[in-house]
Amino acid sequence: MRNALILAIATLALAFSGAGCKDKGNEAGGSGATEDSVKLGLFVSTTGEIATFGGDTKNGADLAVEEINKAGGIKGKLIDLRFYDTASKAEEAGNVATKLATQDKVLVAMGAVASGLSLAAAPVFEQNGVPMVSPSSTNPTVTQQGKNIFRICFLDDFQGGACAVFAYKELGKRKAAIIRNQDDAYSTGLADYFRLKFKALGGEVVADESYKKGTKEFASQITNVKAKEPDIIFLPCYYNDVALLSQQIRGQGIGDDVPMLGGDGWESANLIPNSKGALEGSYFGNHYSPEDPSEHVQAFVKGYKAKYNTAPSSLAALGYDVVYVVKKAIEDAGEFDRAKVRDALAALKDFKGVTGTFSIDENRDARKPISILKVQGDKFLPVKQIYPQDVK
Amino acid sequence: MLELLATVDSGGTSLAQALLQQVANGIAKGSVYALIAVGYTMVYGVLQLINFAHGEVYMLGAYFSYYPAKWMGYTTDPEDPSFVPAKVPLYVVGFLFVCSMACCALLGMLIERFAYRPLRNSSRLAALITAIGVSLLLQNGGIMLFKADPRGFPTLIEQSSVDLGLVALTNTKIIIVVVAAVMMAGLHLFVQKTRPGAAMRACSFDMRTARLMGVNVDGTIGLTFAIGSIMAAVAGVLVAMDQPTIDPLMGLMAGLKAFVAAVLGGIGSIPGAALGGLLLGVTESVVGTFSTTYAEAVAFVLLILVLLVKPSGLLGKSGREKV
Repeated sequence: MRNALILAIATLALAFSGAGCKDKGNEAGGSGATEDSVKLGLFVSTTGEIATFGGDTKNGADLAVEEINKAGGIKGKLIDLRFYDTASKAEEAGNVATKLATQDKVLVAMGAVASGLSLAAAPVFEQNGVPMVSPSSTNPTVTQQGKNIFRICFLDDFQGGACAVFAYKELGKRKAAIIRNQDDAYSTGLADYFRLKFKALGGEVVADESYKKGTKEFASQITNVKAKEPDIIFLPCYYNDVALLSQQIRGQGIGDDVPMLGGDGWESANLIPNSKGALEGSYFGNHYSPEDPSEHVQAFVKGYKAKYNTAPSSLAALGYDVVYVVKKAIEDAGEFDRAKVRDALAALKDFKGVTGTFSIDENRDARKPISILKVQGDKFLPVKQIYPQDVK
Repeated sequence: MLELLATVDSGGTSLAQALLQQVANGIAKGSVYALIAVGYTMVYGVLQLINFAHGEVYMLGAYFSYYPAKWMGYTTDPEDPSFVPAKVPLYVVGFLFVCSMACCALLGMLIERFAYRPLRNSSRLAALITAIGVSLLLQNGGIMLFKADPRGFPTLIEQSSVDLGLVALTNTKIIIVVVAAVMMAGLHLFVQKTRPGAAMRACSFDMRTARLMGVNVDGTIGLTFAIGSIMAAVAGVLVAMDQPTIDPLMGLMAGLKAFVAAVLGGIGSIPGAALGGLLLGVTESVVGTFSTTYAEAVAFVLLILVLLVKPSGLLGKSGREKV
């Protein structure tokens, strides 16, 4: 209670002190910028059930801000990053959005990770005319909330389709089996898009099994899959389930000649140790690979490792990219004005990020490739990039 | 639905074989349900209490072998820099089982002593609410102590597929079935042939008279909890061996299914728990041949049908209710 009181007073004090500078910014014709700094908002969940995702995103964004400020800021103004934790709760995302838009008066807001939280925050930013850029919300409806809402990651329909294209064209597979988590929209979405594309290409989906959230024993599903003799098994699930599924698939005697394939839910430092070698030679689609030899990616990986002593995940890479996307948009706009920055974001072309080179399309979504990675030893090696035009 | 039919059609001659394989899968699954169900049924038999914390004992059974293994250097934790997935020798596997059984026996007795015994003479509802409280306490305590993230369990036995002629099962599943069968048979003999077993039956029949006859009632109830918890501990380690990730909420669904198995077989009856567990496991798997989406729903419809026809469960005693 006492803490809450202190927090309330501090917030009030901040709001008043902020009011002094922000007026100057407004008079200068643009929100979010003062004479020597530009205010950007970041809202992700660093506590709660998806805390690691938000924490990685924030680490990536912090690194980018540090680099930009060290190099002189954006058009001579240093970034003043206003960060709020959304605690994995949709209502908290709404509150934070209001705070960023009306109190901090940020120029651009960046976040959230989870689609549910982005959906809660988007209407607030849309109403206040604040451009919002989500680093990693993949649900299609997020950017349909209004013309101020953008994202820089690919969508689940593309991801599922790209996996099908990779399986059919690159691996030459014709008989696919799917095992999906029936309680999870991400999993069923990927499974449906994979199925659709794989069939459209001329392949056959010989088995499509489901399991309930929390299942650890998949003998029934795997028995059904094995009886249909597939040549590839699509597992659109998160890494904990994949670790168990893969071991049981190999344990029940489906051999290495039938690789497994999945989406970005596979990415985790726990995937390889927990699957105990069962995933060797399998593939999954991801936003980027830290093993990518390109100079840009390696510089990022090196900087990140130096600061945090661990390899950056995809979410860290997207958090890093989102700050640079905003920087590019402000530079393109030429001035610190929300409407002009919005237009610049909508017109963004061929942005070179660590998660690939991408443009923003007419739906305010990123058109970017997906990296297919191969599990080899304790590494994820990039083997192929699939572009949106390959999946069309 | 069309797809579902197509699956059956294309099966043709191999459908029988697929069904047989699913029955085998179901027996392995059901053996685990049975091991846990015994704990529910024994406690209910003696105290007429549904010990909802039992699923958490099963969860802790897995953790009580995870940590000793980790301290001995057998771990798959990626945070450990000196990570070497060493082969676990057989005597260590044995030790882990014994360790987990001992810790869970102690835990079961502690739960009884401090949560249920003070309430033994209050209303049954009070004890039931306490059981739910203990269950939540252990779940959330587990999340606090062990973290919510699932942990990789070390490979106790390398999994491989064993061909049994008509069906194939992984070696870990065969071990589950064999160990469960031996433990259930041993328990049955213990309850029927030994003096402590007779005391247990006496308490179940009429606790007050048993006490008048010189039976140590408190000791017997403690023993009942200890034995039930040992069975759950074995189930926990067996499952962690077969499906090697463990998390603090793993007892939730397993406990629920086992409870259903106990009710299906007739709560209070040990052979009933075995039968109920196997039946539930086999039904789930066989229905899974046609649709894994509806497997659990169909299994629970079966439970309702059985209870409509035989409200006391398959092997339950129908008789006067003790109040």
